[in-house]
Amino acid sequence: MKGRSLIKDVILPIAIIIAGFAVLSPLSDLVAARKPVVPESYNDTDLFVKGRELKGFVLGTESLVADWYWMRSLQYIGDKVVNSKEDLRLDDLRNLNPRLLYPLLDSATDLDPHFIAPYAYGAMVLPAIDGNQAIAIANKGIASNPNEWRLYQQLGYIYWRLKMYDEAAKVYEAGSKIPGSAAFMKLMAASMKTEGGSRSTARAIYTQMIADAEDEQTRNTAKRLLDQINSMDDVDALNNALAEYKQTSGHCVNELRELEPILLKTTLPAGRDFSVDAQGRIVDPSGAPYGLDRTACTATTPRRPQ
Amino acid sequence: MPNSNFFSTTYAVARNAFREAVRDRVLYNLIVFVLLLTAAAIFLGELTAGQEARVVTDLGLSATLIFGVFIAIFVGVSLVWKELEKRTVYSLLSKPVSRTNFILGKYLGFCVTLLFNTLVMGVVITLALLYVGGAKYIAGVWPAIYLIFLEMTIITGVAIMFSSFSTPALSALLTFFVFVIGHFSSSLRDLAQSMGSDAALVFFNIVYYLLPNFSNFAVISNAAIGQHPPASMLGFATLYAVVYDVILLTITAVIFKRRNFK
Repeated sequence: MKGRSLIKDVILPIAIIIAGFAVLSPLSDLVAARKPVVPESYNDTDLFVKGRELKGFVLGTESLVADWYWMRSLQYIGDKVVNSKEDLRLDDLRNLNPRLLYPLLDSATDLDPHFIAPYAYGAMVLPAIDGNQAIAIANKGIASNPNEWRLYQQLGYIYWRLKMYDEAAKVYEAGSKIPGSAAFMKLMAASMKTEGGSRSTARAIYTQMIADAEDEQTRNTAKRLLDQINSMDDVDALNNALAEYKQTSGHCVNELRELEPILLKTTLPAGRDFSVDAQGRIVDPSGAPYGLDRTACTATTPRRPQ
Repeated sequence: MPNSNFFSTTYAVARNAFREAVRDRVLYNLIVFVLLLTAAAIFLGELTAGQEARVVTDLGLSATLIFGVFIAIFVGVSLVWKELEKRTVYSLLSKPVSRTNFILGKYLGFCVTLLFNTLVMGVVITLALLYVGGAKYIAGVWPAIYLIFLEMTIITGVAIMFSSFSTPALSALLTFFVFVIGHFSSSLRDLAQSMGSDAALVFFNIVYYLLPNFSNFAVISNAAIGQHPPASMLGFATLYAVVYDVILLTITAVIFKRRNFK
């Protein structure tokens, strides 16, 4: 009797629990393998509820819903970047087909017109997708927040990216007149007219953006773009050194590190120095080594996703 | 091997548990649900730029899940506790009703209540879809409703298990945590793999295998684009839910048998 009770009350329940958990894992895998996959295009389906339509219908939680649209826009671009199978070019993101970015940012700012982060993010990313949308979101921000000088900085940046230097100068000029604006705005207004397309102007813009950015996404994007400019400076300097080496020796180097004596005498813009990794290879700002095309005797930028 | 008396006793407890839930006005939530879906079907046309059917599907199924989960948690934790609190469990267990009969009957009776609840909700969603001209979505809605019901049976099992040794408030909280973590467990495991930490990987693997994986039952996004899961997936999901329910009820029965009611 006692033995029967032991089996019924202890051994049987333990056996059921252990056997159950042993079966659950393969069962879970079987279910997951049969679950229909939502097509990739699902994430690009038009928004079925836009911010402006929700205004007044969300029981005073417009700001919270604006936050949701804003976070959704970050995830949307983040997922596109992570799942991208090609090398990304930050100056042209159209191959990612990020068609919902503008509607998401537009919805966030419709619900909360004083929410500055979506304008800043739009200014940073939209020029690489659709210049007109970038200008539209920045103008919308200025219309709702006329005293926010950073929005003028962002619109100026968009015009600069689109090589519309006169418009950029006007916007920087208008922004510089707002009380509390950075001295940088006046400098930019002047340099847009004289050397709008120069790399030094680009460096100044991105350096200022990194210092001013109020959100991590904008700061990281500006930092990557600044790294790109620094990388272009590095490649130019490396190519000059390669040309000098070839002229004196009559042949190309076998490895870039052979250029060290020449590079030690080279000055990079903004007082930078070349970076070298633990193996002694010359690397770009992200730590990836530059390549060498021995046929053309030129340095090449590392190929990697951003 | 349980005899026919075991089944008839369990059936009697289950029938009373269902009646009790009806008497406690648990099904009144259906009125709110009907009003919500009716309002959505009528007014969403203005807001959704021609996507009424999709929004009705999303809203209807999400509301079915949320309403169902909250009922499963809050009523589930009180199923056993109420009998103990009112001391009716003494008179019940003095009759030829075993503690296993009691737990199993309460659980099955409440699952029937949930089944009735989800069936009515499914009918309301179907009618709302017909009203907005979204008949093509109906084939995806019913498998989703079925999977939501399976998920609720597991949540009820978790709620009863916690309530067999804990207070109702703590049981509700713990069950809610299981619901949330169960929906994230596979994502958390992926995150642990990308973190590269062995400790995190072991911890999240344990969470993944011990807690129910509710992402197996989440097909609302599929239903909203007119997809429906294959019969084999529904079959394996049913098996998964049954096995998990058996584990939970076994643990609950073991704890309840050892519980001192003094």
